[in-house]
Amino acid sequence: MDRRTFLQTTSLAGIAVAFSSQAMAEWKPRRPLNIIVPYKAGGGTDAYARAISAAAADRLPVPVVVVNKPGASGMTGAIAAASSKPDGNTIMLHSTGSFLLGSMLRDTKVGPFDGFKMIAQVGNLKACIAVPAGSPFKSVQDLVDAAKAAPGKLRWAHTGKGSTYHVSGQTFLNGLGLKAVDVPFKGGSAVRAAVLGEQVDFAVLGVQQGRGFEEKMHRLAVLADARDELAPDVPTFAELGFDIPIVSSPIIVYAPNGVDPEIISGIEAALAEIVAAPEFAKLVNTKGTLPLYRTGADAETAVRAMRESVTPVINALKGN
Amino acid sequence: MDIFIGLATVLSSPALLGWIVSAAVVGMVVGAVPGLTASAAIAMLLPVTFYMDPLAALAFLYVIGKSGRYGGSIAAILFNTPGTAASAATQIDGYPLSQRGLSSKAMKVATVSSVIGDFTGEILLILGVGIIAAIALTLGPPELFAVYFAAFVVIGSVIGKSVVKGLASAALGVLIKMVGTDPISAAERYTFGSYELINGIGLVPLMIGMFVLAEVLSQMETRGAKIEKFDEPDSAEAKARNRLSWAEYKPCIPHVIRSSFIGAFIGMLPGLGSAIAAFVAYGEGKRRAKNPDEWGKGALEGIAAPEAANNAVSGPSMAPLLTLGIPGSTIGAILVGVFLIHGIQIGPTLFLTSRELVYSLFAAGLIGIAAYGLVGYFGASFVGRFIIKIPTDILYPMIFLTSFIAAYASRGSLFDVWVMVAAGVLGWLMKKLEFNPAAFVIAFVLAGGAEETFRQSLLLSDNGLLIFVTRPVALGFLLLGVLTVFIRARSLHREARAQALGDT
Repeated sequence: MDRRTFLQTTSLAGIAVAFSSQAMAEWKPRRPLNIIVPYKAGGGTDAYARAISAAAADRLPVPVVVVNKPGASGMTGAIAAASSKPDGNTIMLHSTGSFLLGSMLRDTKVGPFDGFKMIAQVGNLKACIAVPAGSPFKSVQDLVDAAKAAPGKLRWAHTGKGSTYHVSGQTFLNGLGLKAVDVPFKGGSAVRAAVLGEQVDFAVLGVQQGRGFEEKMHRLAVLADARDELAPDVPTFAELGFDIPIVSSPIIVYAPNGVDPEIISGIEAALAEIVAAPEFAKLVNTKGTLPLYRTGADAETAVRAMRESVTPVINALKGN
Repeated sequence: MDIFIGLATVLSSPALLGWIVSAAVVGMVVGAVPGLTASAAIAMLLPVTFYMDPLAALAFLYVIGKSGRYGGSIAAILFNTPGTAASAATQIDGYPLSQRGLSSKAMKVATVSSVIGDFTGEILLILGVGIIAAIALTLGPPELFAVYFAAFVVIGSVIGKSVVKGLASAALGVLIKMVGTDPISAAERYTFGSYELINGIGLVPLMIGMFVLAEVLSQMETRGAKIEKFDEPDSAEAKARNRLSWAEYKPCIPHVIRSSFIGAFIGMLPGLGSAIAAFVAYGEGKRRAKNPDEWGKGALEGIAAPEAANNAVSGPSMAPLLTLGIPGSTIGAILVGVFLIHGIQIGPTLFLTSRELVYSLFAAGLIGIAAYGLVGYFGASFVGRFIIKIPTDILYPMIFLTSFIAAYASRGSLFDVWVMVAAGVLGWLMKKLEFNPAAFVIAFVLAGGAEETFRQSLLLSDNGLLIFVTRPVALGFLLLGVLTVFIRARSLHREARAQALGDT
């Protein structure tokens, strides 16, 4: 941990503790808190829930239980969470990029703004653009030039139509007026394998997938406000002079509609404390990701902004 | 030699040995119970391993994966129900043997073949992990599709008398697999607005229905009819019949060796997995067999070939997993999670940073194979004898109930129970009308991956279908598939002509 993060974490923790002692006074959980994760155990989103559970052990009077309900790209678990009893004992943690895009692309019963209230954000998954180590493209500019010279000739891999990384990649291409053939693969590691094996010219995938593969896969740019602390050498698109709307997947904890606002602010305060805990950071770091705390209101603003910026891409996807 | 240091580490730790042996037993049990797969068990046990030492946690899960693939053969042989998709090929010959009262012998063949296949894969992994990883890297969607194509050919071997009905069954399997999300465009197909269908039909409830429930229904129909009764299973005569002699196993050896290498090669290819390996090995084994007519009616070689292949996958699939982070199977994907949870970064640098751990894990694999081999050889035949002793009017109601629980348990979904019931009725009807449930399930297992890799290949290709011709490994497997079909067609033709001549 460098000095800056250390300062950030400690100051955040200080604020959180001050807050929580007050807010948590009204929230006195008596039964275990169940977090529904709409993905399988062992994945990146699941890791956040497990980290919350581990860090909550010394901080909450009740255990936090992770319940995996995978299926229908995260929709099965979301529907189960939305229809659970709104007593504050059941909440949900979702990778909001795919949740939002899924609800925009399909006619779904629930969505980030539909059936849920955001409690707080605990992390963020960022997209990056990557090429094989032996690729002739050494920078985003090289890639853009090549795509301009031969429209529709380059091939790029992503994690599935309508996924966060597909939409971020398409946003990048649309923003610069480029055309390339997209090849969907199942999941981040399959996309990375396609890059390592030079099956594709480039790929858009989670920046965390590049960790440990720096020699074989070059990440040209990350789609975020600031550089990723675990990949400090990868510049942002903005630094390189590309103005691209940011599409990421915020990891957000939700409560089903109807939960008492006092309970929500109690859990919010508890999450602020948990996210600032060193063991939380340590656990999510093992997956190559970072903690990022935002209040429910701030998270909602950010997700609304993202919905605005992806609407044209989604409409184009729906059209074909 | 790092592996000897690894073996020393493992053998000198009683706690670790305890974990390995318990993993061998747990894996066998979950593998044998239809509906409980090794990957489901690993996912369930994953949280437990958070509190274990990294080597113990990895060894535990790794060995469960191995013995689970083997355990699937127990149910396949005894009840005509593959415990896992990987043993679907084993039941083709395993169940007929069981019907003749030779289940213990069949299980011994399965055990010995699984152990040989698994050791072959593990040793190839230990000797050539770097080379395997390098090969795996050059293989993309076109090669994967070619292997799927070769695996499809096995359907030809399970088709019995009626070619048309067999092909129709396979086509129905493909059609049912189409339900869900299109792998490329993510459009919904045949979902009829139901979000339960977005993920498609689950393999586990489908298999349980098709094989277990359908079998129970057929038994109900023949109730009252005299049930085939084997002689007292504890009699000296039955024991003698179930003894496996060297002379009986000797013809299996070439099949086991060939299948071990087929399995090991398919293990290197990420994402294909044990079931595909077993199908390719069975098809190729039958093509080369001296007694192809006996295959499907209870040939010991027909058990040896797929069992050796599905276990040989285990070792080599670790190479792309560890060095490239490409999981070759669901089990592999979960193992990646375990590495990360314990703070070990998978990737090209793993052998520099955690060399000792990795070789200790391989050593644990070797010991785990021996453990499930011994438990299986003596234990499974005991289970086989025990099951045969249970009267069918008690056994089948129990199986009936278990099939409901198993269908529900795999994903905790009531919808899956309905799928299981529907598949059960369909399977029973298919059997009654002499359609082919095995061809249906094999087509179902293969269709998804084949479609995905085929369409990915076309997206990657500048010249359409020519991509398959220009890539040598892909071309090789495609030719193997075509050749098998051609030879099979010719032998069918010859049989038909011989019959026609005989009639006149």
